[in-house]
Amino acid sequence: MAGLDIPFLSASQTTKAIRSKQVSPVEVVRSYLERIDRLDNKLNSYITVCREEALAAARLAEKSLSDGNALPPLFGVPMAVKDQFWTKGILTTNASRVYADFVPDYDSTAIARIKDAGAILLGKLNMSELAMGGTQQPHWGIPRNPWDLERSPGESSSGSGVALAANLCAASLGEDTGGSGRGPGASCNVVGLRPTFTRVSRYGMTPFCWFFDAAAPMSKTVEDCALVLGAVAGYDPKDPYTSRRPVPDFTSHLSDGVKGLRVGLIRELHNHDDIDPDVKRAIESALEVFRGLGAEVREVSIPLISMAGAIFVGISDTEGAGTHDEILRSRHMDLDPASRTRLQAAALVPTKIYNRAMKARVLLRRQFMEALGQVDVLASATYPFPPPKHTSLTATFENTEQVRARFFFRRSYTSPYALTSLPAISIPGGFSSGGLPIGVQLGARPFAEETLLRAAHSYEQATPWHTMRPPEAV
Amino acid sequence: MPLSKEDRVRELARLVGIPIAAEDIGEVANRFESLVQELERLNDLDLADIQPVTVFPDEDS
Repeated sequence: MAGLDIPFLSASQTTKAIRSKQVSPVEVVRSYLERIDRLDNKLNSYITVCREEALAAARLAEKSLSDGNALPPLFGVPMAVKDQFWTKGILTTNASRVYADFVPDYDSTAIARIKDAGAILLGKLNMSELAMGGTQQPHWGIPRNPWDLERSPGESSSGSGVALAANLCAASLGEDTGGSGRGPGASCNVVGLRPTFTRVSRYGMTPFCWFFDAAAPMSKTVEDCALVLGAVAGYDPKDPYTSRRPVPDFTSHLSDGVKGLRVGLIRELHNHDDIDPDVKRAIESALEVFRGLGAEVREVSIPLISMAGAIFVGISDTEGAGTHDEILRSRHMDLDPASRTRLQAAALVPTKIYNRAMKARVLLRRQFMEALGQVDVLASATYPFPPPKHTSLTATFENTEQVRARFFFRRSYTSPYALTSLPAISIPGGFSSGGLPIGVQLGARPFAEETLLRAAHSYEQATPWHTMRPPEAV
Repeated sequence: MPLSKEDRVRELARLVGIPIAAEDIGEVANRFESLVQELERLNDLDLADIQPVTVFPDEDS
């Protein structure tokens, strides 16, 4: 179709173009496959490209279109998913040699739901091993940030961030245990959402910490994120912790604006001594945008948030060590060195420390809910610095101070929403003086995704950041 | 004489029953000591009346 640069369309634009027969589902899939062939050798965002399966699904979609069938919301949208989601008959590696030959015999609920919503599975995406972050020697190659190949694309849904930024898929499902969807969103200048904990089923998603793990819609635009969330949200009897609350149409209030919305800057995160000055400036500029759109901006205090990184690691890694106990005992040398030593350290944490962390988590939730009694949306940076070099994240820890500085600090920005089960989103928020993406993180009350998406959409539409294209993926 | 952080990790690993390669002991010890030190800061909090939960109920929303 002349005039349409298909891979640069959002998911919403893609399905509209297919419905109006400007372009066919097969053309769409072929254009993405061509781009993957051309660019992914250097970006390493895919572990498995489902070439034949995607083309077959696209042909079925063409028939459905010509038959005049009712078309679901993601009809014809090529999606790629983190290789943590189980996919029937398709390799699911979790980016670990331990799972190098694992082919599930069923689809996870989230995968089944995006297919039911009309999406076409384009492939399985690279990630940090076992969704942990910090992988030193990625078995399927280092996922490269298209904004700077030497920089981290964020962890652990790294392939989702890269593939979206490079327009190698139209939308993605990542996963977010403590920031694994929002972090790559921020690092790659795309959108990453962590829904309210019980909003989306985790059935068929390789676990790390079962009461923090969350399926994470990731996308080029906030509207796409709302579409994907609508497809995957809702009760699932196979994951009994999913909420029975009705699932709204998350797109219906996107354009209602933010006039009168109360936005609270989290003081302790914004005023941290170690936050990068470019990031701080970007967040302050974002708040000015919100003010200009009619929102009321103020500061709020969440005193315990500076401890959140340690509380989170104390719980999630300890749980993760339990989840992967069999691997730790019998296949530990098949793990990447960083995953191995992190899980081994967590396996030794005494119960009394774990128990205190679990109690501190409840106290943190109380402080968040108090803050959310004063404002509608919380704001902060997603990461306190622009994407660092790969090597700075994967170097061996020489002493305990390095662990504190490198490991806990950045997790204090994203992990609080996992600890408190609250929804949060990262949206493109500008660039550093070095041209690297910066993410704005917004959080809200339980099940207030509509408010969160409305605020994010208003900001996105008032700023140019989401329209920028990375230099390594033209 | 107190155990070194490396010896403490070796002993804990033996009790827990997980193998740790000799070349990994230093890294595991740094990670473990750092985590324990960070979480010891929680001792200053009054957590006596707090019941830990894994999933916050819907009605708390």
